[in-house]
Amino acid sequence: MDFELSDEQQLIRDAVREFAEAEVAPIAAELDRDHRFPTELLPRLAEMNLMGMPYPEKVGGAGADYLSYVIAIEELSRACASTSVVVSAHSSLATWPVFKFGTEAQHERYLHDMASGRRLGAFALTEPAAGTDAAAGTTTATLHADGYALNGSKMFITNAPYAEVYIVFAKTDPERGARGMSAFIVEKDTPGFSVGEAEHKLGIRGSSTPPVYFSDCRVPKEALLGVEGDGFKIAMATLDGGRIGIAAQALGIAQAALDASVAYAKERVQFGKPIAALQAIQWMIADMATEIDASRLLVYRAASFLDNGRPYSTEGAMAKLFASETATRVAGKAIQIHGGYGYTESYPVERNYRDAKITEIYEGTSEVQRMVIARSALR
Amino acid sequence: MRIVVTYKWTCDPEEATVRADGTVDWSRAKPGISTYDPVAMELARRLADAAGAELIGLTAGGKGVGTPIAAKAALSRGLDRVVIIEDESLREAGRSELAAVLAAAVRRIGDVDLVVTGDSSVDVAAKMVPTVLAGELGWPAVAEVTAVTGQAGALRVERAIPGGVQVLEISGSAVLAASADAAVPHVPGMKELLAAGKKPVDRLELTALDVPARSAVMTVTGRARPERKARKSQLIDTSDPAAAAAELVTALRVAGAL
Repeated sequence: MDFELSDEQQLIRDAVREFAEAEVAPIAAELDRDHRFPTELLPRLAEMNLMGMPYPEKVGGAGADYLSYVIAIEELSRACASTSVVVSAHSSLATWPVFKFGTEAQHERYLHDMASGRRLGAFALTEPAAGTDAAAGTTTATLHADGYALNGSKMFITNAPYAEVYIVFAKTDPERGARGMSAFIVEKDTPGFSVGEAEHKLGIRGSSTPPVYFSDCRVPKEALLGVEGDGFKIAMATLDGGRIGIAAQALGIAQAALDASVAYAKERVQFGKPIAALQAIQWMIADMATEIDASRLLVYRAASFLDNGRPYSTEGAMAKLFASETATRVAGKAIQIHGGYGYTESYPVERNYRDAKITEIYEGTSEVQRMVIARSALR
Repeated sequence: MRIVVTYKWTCDPEEATVRADGTVDWSRAKPGISTYDPVAMELARRLADAAGAELIGLTAGGKGVGTPIAAKAALSRGLDRVVIIEDESLREAGRSELAAVLAAAVRRIGDVDLVVTGDSSVDVAAKMVPTVLAGELGWPAVAEVTAVTGQAGALRVERAIPGGVQVLEISGSAVLAASADAAVPHVPGMKELLAAGKKPVDRLELTALDVPARSAVMTVTGRARPERKARKSQLIDTSDPAAAAAELVTALRVAGAL
């Protein structure tokens, strides 16, 4: 078993780290404090080919493997979890279904622009009464002579105010439950489509997540992604891969919290010596480092399975479950190590703590991951 | 036009640690391109793009400089190809010897119009190689270069001097050492990194290069750490600022700092 990253993966890690430290980290606190979306970073992320890493060059992507993409998300998350979720929601949730299920015409119209980062994407599945129970969504798509009319609303839609392409899930046959759900590609200025006010969140405050509304929003028949009734399957397949990206985000957040704790512990002097010399602190650091390493192995394994064409649903669920809960735990310990200072905005660990929690919730809660894992284990 | 940019594959001393016995532990230091060389690569790439020139990376050193990852790291920074001289005898080579090897390689590459180097290396920081290299080639050397434009045989160079900028016109080949802040190095994008492995890597054998014999041999025979004095720790009561300042001045005079 070879645990070494390839030359390309190491170089990608180093380059994204260099970019993130130089251009993303310096504005991370400001994005969080001001609840500001990193619009100025979008062109740079596109120039760095980070917006469509795992997609082939011929469709505008970078042609990287999924593990390299996951490493990039980890490194971006170390600097700023808000920026990393802008990238992962765009790449994993919005671009992937177009790549996987889109027609040639849809590839031509959307995929090149999305994979190259020219147009930002968003994934609109969650509704006010349909979160984990995604099949309970009530947004409808009614077939007319010239296309479909969408009616309903979605909430917590990452990137919505800045996106130009939305993957929207709506019931073409409400009587059939999950099997009656279809997927559509909706463009930004479509009449009847509007974006609401962004939520004020505990963490990832630089990521914008408002509701979106559909009021007799007319889309052509060519906007259908896949065939009618495929929507739930498309959504679940998309989330299967997307959760590896969130696991990588959690990993990056945890690593940032550990790095900050190590630096602080070496400098903070109490009882005449750095607190890094105290066993209580050493044991906390040891536990944090071990759990992060375990998270990394799970995340990288899930990504490698995806790259090698192996089934990865269970491994992806394990990675997301473990990495997200690790991130919350590690960020909490990081504040403990920083003491009173950790509770202030003077140190980044309070942001790590607030950012970590959502990784246990979105793109499939920890409870859902446990269901997936149990189903596999009890087969 | 053909431009050569030299680079060094080495470890950053900041990542090394000093053991209690004074020896250096390099085990956690990861090798990479010396910090100042990407600036030179950026400067050279801009000129190459403007002039339609070929940009060739050149490096020489001990085992490791020719690993695939080292070559890819360099190629991802805008080089068209790299030329590598990897020979363990060069690991402890002095600056003059290294410059002589690089000069021999430049002559072997042939038809080189310009050599661009970094300001110095992150590990040794001697700032000697560009000048000695130029001497070996019989070309002018210019340091602290902040910009270069033009074509082969007609270069316009700007360099930083105290209080201003000096502008030079060079009518032949030259060696230019890029100022450390001449450019913000471009961070390679994902496509550049993935394409690096497909670019040409040429290897030259040290024994096949025409390196003039050295008339003198330099060997490092010893290293010593400076004597470290025990750090003083003296707390001064600052409730009376004037008295505290006087006490501080006295303490600094006694310690020989003032």
